[in-house]
Amino acid sequence: MTDGMQNKILQEYNSEEHILACLSSSPSNTKIIKTAAQMSKAFGGKFTALYVKTPESENMTRENRERLETNIRLAESLGAEIATVYADDIAQQIIEFVRLSKITKVVIGRSSLYVGRLFYRHTITDKLIKSSPGLDIYIIPNTEIKKNRGFYGTFSALKYPTLIQWAWMILILFLSTALGFLFRLFYFTEANTITVYMLGVLIVAIITKNYICSGVFSLASVLLFNFFFTEPQFTFKTYESGYPVTFVIMLTVSLLMGTLAYKVAASVKLSANTAYRTNIMLQANLLLQKTDSEDAVIAIMAQQLVKLLSRNIVIYRLHGNNLGMPQVFPTERGGDPDMLLSNSEINVATHLFENKEYTDINGIRIKNSACVYFSVKTNNTVFCIVGVEIGNKPIEHFECSILISILGESALAIENLRNVREKEKITLLAKNEKLRANLLRTISHDLRTPLTSISGNAETLLANYNNLDDNTRCKILKDISDDSGWLISLVENLLSVSRISEGQMNINLSAQLVDEVITEALKHVDRKAIDHEIITDFGNELLLAKMDARLISQVIINLVDNAIKYTPKGSIITVSAKPDGNHIIISVADNGNGIPDEQKKEVFRMFYTGNNSIADCRRSLGLGLSLCESIINAHQGKLTLTDNKPHGCIFSFTLEKSEVYLSEQ
Amino acid sequence: MNNKPLILVVEDDTSVRNLITVTLKTNDYKFLTAQNGNAAIIEASSHKPDITLLDLGLPDMDGVKIIKKIRTWSNMPIIVISARSEDSDKIEALDAGADDYITKPFSVEELLARLRATQRRLSVTQTGTASSVFQNGSLSIDYAAGCAYLDGVEIHLTPMEYKLLCLLAANVGKVLTHTFITGKIWGNCLENDVASLRVFMATLRKKLESGSETQYIQTHIGIGYRMLKVE
Repeated sequence: MTDGMQNKILQEYNSEEHILACLSSSPSNTKIIKTAAQMSKAFGGKFTALYVKTPESENMTRENRERLETNIRLAESLGAEIATVYADDIAQQIIEFVRLSKITKVVIGRSSLYVGRLFYRHTITDKLIKSSPGLDIYIIPNTEIKKNRGFYGTFSALKYPTLIQWAWMILILFLSTALGFLFRLFYFTEANTITVYMLGVLIVAIITKNYICSGVFSLASVLLFNFFFTEPQFTFKTYESGYPVTFVIMLTVSLLMGTLAYKVAASVKLSANTAYRTNIMLQANLLLQKTDSEDAVIAIMAQQLVKLLSRNIVIYRLHGNNLGMPQVFPTERGGDPDMLLSNSEINVATHLFENKEYTDINGIRIKNSACVYFSVKTNNTVFCIVGVEIGNKPIEHFECSILISILGESALAIENLRNVREKEKITLLAKNEKLRANLLRTISHDLRTPLTSISGNAETLLANYNNLDDNTRCKILKDISDDSGWLISLVENLLSVSRISEGQMNINLSAQLVDEVITEALKHVDRKAIDHEIITDFGNELLLAKMDARLISQVIINLVDNAIKYTPKGSIITVSAKPDGNHIIISVADNGNGIPDEQKKEVFRMFYTGNNSIADCRRSLGLGLSLCESIINAHQGKLTLTDNKPHGCIFSFTLEKSEVYLSEQ
Repeated sequence: MNNKPLILVVEDDTSVRNLITVTLKTNDYKFLTAQNGNAAIIEASSHKPDITLLDLGLPDMDGVKIIKKIRTWSNMPIIVISARSEDSDKIEALDAGADDYITKPFSVEELLARLRATQRRLSVTQTGTASSVFQNGSLSIDYAAGCAYLDGVEIHLTPMEYKLLCLLAANVGKVLTHTFITGKIWGNCLENDVASLRVFMATLRKKLESGSETQYIQTHIGIGYRMLKVE
């Protein structure tokens, strides 16, 4: 069995441990991967290898890239799941990943700690420990320490140099000249001095990262060279005929060098910029995957767009088939979001929407509207219209393509969410449908019997009224009346069932007097109760409970009806209510034959009817108790069945007690 | 038999209408029938019935609208017949001016009992002019003295209970909704008010009904209260 397979099997049986190895291009990274793999084997946990891509990763050397690929392959072969994420801040990204993937152990290289800015040296571990206290962190030492690469970090382009940049330039100019004098002292040739100035140009270009600085330096160095080092000294004149050529070449070379150094830095900046934008898109992708509502999708989309474009964004969501009210997402620097909400802008958006002029993928702009309008849509459904403030400068092509892809991603995310919701709805509907179908099947069966009796008896009376004696007529009429009474109580229960919608019961909770509700409910109890004695016991206290009075009376009616139905004539049924801490316990007890233990669980099942000799099977719907249970559950209570002493059973349920503030004013 | 009131039966369903009219006939009531809202309003205005039995679910007009129309010129008792089990319909009808309600399916005895109760109330309102003493069974209220008596013995009521008792007495026989009562007593209707109303009613009823079989105050769960007219 290979390690990979073993890991996979272990993963399935043990999901408690989740080990994360941080990948890098460093040669010592193999050690990290192996350690993590061994750990995952030992603990039998899941193994993930994470590589955090930064904007700098784009400029990785070939050697490093190859090494990174080897490392990734190694991790894969050891059974790791490879994850690649994009971020500026490696530490933050690792922390985020640890949190989201429920990582329990992190194996990290020492060199990784130094990635990022020098000042954050130890913060990855610190942050990790802080963010997930249960996390184990294993640090693998590494002899190779990367140097701080601050030089190319940022490059302020063609800006007018700052004082500090000027100071650097003058200092280097001074040093180069001083070195020139030193060379002169040792009778070195002038070529050496020229080289020193060249070096100076390079250093200035690198340090100041300013084109103007290096240009000025080039010019100044030629002048200084002329002034100090050519005959006649301390004048701008030259005797030797070759010098002007030297000056020109010197100027050209130094300018070229400065330009080259600047260009290198500029391209670093450009690729960083590209990476930043790509990163925004990928971040959007990542964030969108985690969303669970349309609002969140729209918010993330807007946030990423504002980040990407640094422009104000306005979003019109769709309400049904109409455009909703616009919502502005301003940039941090503010601007004038009100302009985006002006009537003319809203009119433009509405016009575009109504005329379906939102099909152009590159956005639509009408006359002098403040925004370019894009649509968030899938094949045939539009979800919202996004306006991007145009201001003075048009959207760059690259920005635009990223903008469009973010919009596309958002549209897909919204569509997915809608599909999921639709599916859930359908499942729920199917479940409810099944419940109802079951119910209807049972009920229609149960309805037939009394209906047959009623219609048959009535027909008999109609056809043979004169042939029947008074006694028979009375008996037939009594049967009709009894059966219709039973139908009435069935309909009452059905009405309660009809309030179960979407898997939940709609209840109106209010503070009710318990004895009032019980007294009222007992009035509706089956008329056959004459053969049974019903006792009530509410104590002396006025008990108020939070309930839906109608549903709770239905519960009491069903419980008492059941007690009447399943106990021999002459039994005593006690309905009582007593407080118990924050709750009120209402119970219906009888002194009948009780319910055998093995049937206790069964009675709550829908349509169950016990094999009780007393109950007339035709009349026990088996719906009652399960309905009672769902009503009580909807009240956050519990319906329980216990034995009564010496015999019989007690059905009791709890309701939340309610306090009332009485004012005599 | 001349003192039997004239009853207007508004019901679109033929068999239920037959049931009601047969019941009324066998009990010597005089009656008129209407099958829809418009006919009901014409009958009510032209024949001036004493009591109206009104089905809420009519084909042409909302029952509540009929009640409101009739109330513009007449104070006759209206008993609403509702097939809808939702309390809100009944409350709406009661707040619109109906006096009482019966829920389908109802028994014949129940219907007759309601009619008798309404008749008793009619006799009170017809004979009793603005009197300073209210008399209902053994309960009496002396408005001038601000006292209530049961069999001539004063009952000790809190100011709130007395207020409620007076409100119920002024509308004897009529179902008063929670909203109506809290509106009259507190001036508005908050959830807490309905809960306290229940408590005040419970204590008031205990004081009125302790030690006797007579029921004065009837509770209508989820709807309101009514003072019964006692013979």
